[in-house]
This record gives sequence, structure tokens and C-alpha cells, in this order.
Amino acid sequence: MNFLAIFKLTIPVMMGYIPLGMAFGLLLSKLLIPWYYAFFMSVFIFAGSGQFLALTLFASQATILEIGIATFLLNLRHTFYGLSMISAFKDFSWKKNYLIFGLTDETFALLKTSDVPEANREKAYLWITFLNQCYWIIGSVVGALLGNILPFNYEGIEFSLTALFVVLSIELYKKNRLHKPFFVALIIGLFGMILFPPQKMLILSLCLAAFVLIVFKRSMENGK
Amino acid sequence: MESSYIIGSIIVATLATYATRIIPFLLFRTREPSPLIKYIELNMPLMIMVILVFYALKDVKWESYPYGLAEIIGVSVAIILHVKFKNALLSIFVATLTYMVLIQKVF
Repeated sequence: MNFLAIFKLTIPVMMGYIPLGMAFGLLLSKLLIPWYYAFFMSVFIFAGSGQFLALTLFASQATILEIGIATFLLNLRHTFYGLSMISAFKDFSWKKNYLIFGLTDETFALLKTSDVPEANREKAYLWITFLNQCYWIIGSVVGALLGNILPFNYEGIEFSLTALFVVLSIELYKKNRLHKPFFVALIIGLFGMILFPPQKMLILSLCLAAFVLIVFKRSMENGK
Repeated sequence: MESSYIIGSIIVATLATYATRIIPFLLFRTREPSPLIKYIELNMPLMIMVILVFYALKDVKWESYPYGLAEIIGVSVAIILHVKFKNALLSIFVATLTYMVLIQKVF
């Protein structure tokens, strides 16, 4: 596969990552965090919703431990991606570590759905992952810089995060075989928002959700 | 915001994210994951995402004017657009714009 063909494959991801990265950068600059942290976060963390979550947690002054736990739980879905890529990456060299690092939702979807020929597949996969990360970095840095320059009233831009979570919830609801966990999470979320102390709401609700999910496994799996 | 706090958080978030991506390659090179693990991995993300919606709304003051109306309208716009057009960027963009106009110009 030549470079142009690989680039063409990644265009849909570019269309998503650049605007979303910019929203992330704008939000970061609104929290008065210097722009280069947008660069470092996108280079090292490289997780869309994970980075948005980090910003929300920054804003509410969460502890570093809470940030670690919440990020791990949020990105837990990536272990599922890894599971279905084990055989695909099996014969690759040490460079597959970058593929594993860069296994975001979008990259996973692209690698899973694109028909990359067997020959030179590792190289093609590496380019796809690298290009995707470049789009994400460019979007987030441009957004962070624009946020400092443009005299624009950004009040309310943080709602992009809420909207992102709403959209991802709908997407996951449609994809999930079981629908009961969705309704259980709705109740726990509402309950947690009203009753739990705001600083501990996320951790408490997530633990409660995991507990209910495991203890009531049988009834969750019954009748969809 | 302290730079040590931001840098520490970035390091922790990096490790936590990388852990979720490398774990299956380390654990299940030879054996299959148990049905319980598969079940948690399949269902937990949906629950987390729904809870995050409420987490993002935790600081809304429901008991005083405008009673969280901007948030309710914004979330409704996102849901309706996404169910109808299935375009994530459109849903997020229009919902955010609606919310920004509401809190800056209306309420």
C-alpha cells in the first residue's frame, strides 16, 4: 500500500480528530493551562475522551489518584480492542508497541474495518496510527493557541464534553448487546448526581455500577 | 493551577491509558479471558459513559433560576440530533452552540 492510499484511509479520522482536538485545546486554554500541555497530553496520553475527562477533573481539582482511577476505568473499553487485535499484531516486530499505545477508538475502528493487504501490513498499520495521532496533536495545539488569541466569549464551551458523553452513550447503547446496564447506569448516575458529594460522585458511582453489574450478572443477561 | 499537579496528572493519565491498551497483550497471549472479564469489559464502558453525563452535570444548580434549563435543552438537542442524523460532530457542535447561546444571551 502506498502512502497516498494509506492517507486516504485516514481522512475520516482526520475529519473527526481535528475539530474534536480543537475543542479539547479550546477547553484547555479556557482553564488557563498553557498551550504546550495540550501538545504533551496529546503526545503521551492520546485518548480523546480520556483527555477531556482529565480537563474536567482538573477543573474540579480532583486528586492525582482519582484522575488515574477515572482514566483507567473510562479507557477500560480499550482492553476489549486489544483483545481482538492480539492475533492481528502477533507476528509484528517490537514496533507493535506503538500500535498498542495508539489503539484509540478511531484507530481501532479503522484497523478493524480497512482491508490492508497482508504484505507490509505492519508498516501500513504504523502509518495509520501515526497519522491519526498527528491529526489529534495538530487539532489540540491549534485549538489551544486559538483559545489564547481569538477574542471570543467561550463561556459554555465546556458543554462540548457533556455533549460528547451523551453521543458516546448513544453509540455504545446501540452497539451493546445488553441494554439493562444502560438503564441501571441512568439510575445510578441520577442518584449519584443528587445524593453523592460532588467531589466523590464519579468514583462512588463507578464502584456502585461495577458492583451492581457483577452481582446482578444473571438478571442483566436475562431477557436482554 | 500548579504545573506539578498538571505534569503529575499527565503522567498518571498516560500510564492508566497505556495500561488499558497493553493489559490484554500481556495477560492473554496464551489463554482466553474468563467470561466474567469479557462481560465486564463489554458492559462497563456503556455504564461509565452514562455516569459521565451526570458527572458533567453535577455542578448545575437545579433549585435556582434557570433550573438547569440550558443543560436540559443542550442534552436534548444532542440526543435528538444524534438519534436522527447519527453524526457525532454535528450533534456535539450544535448542542454546544445552543448551550453557549442560551447561557450567554438568554439566561
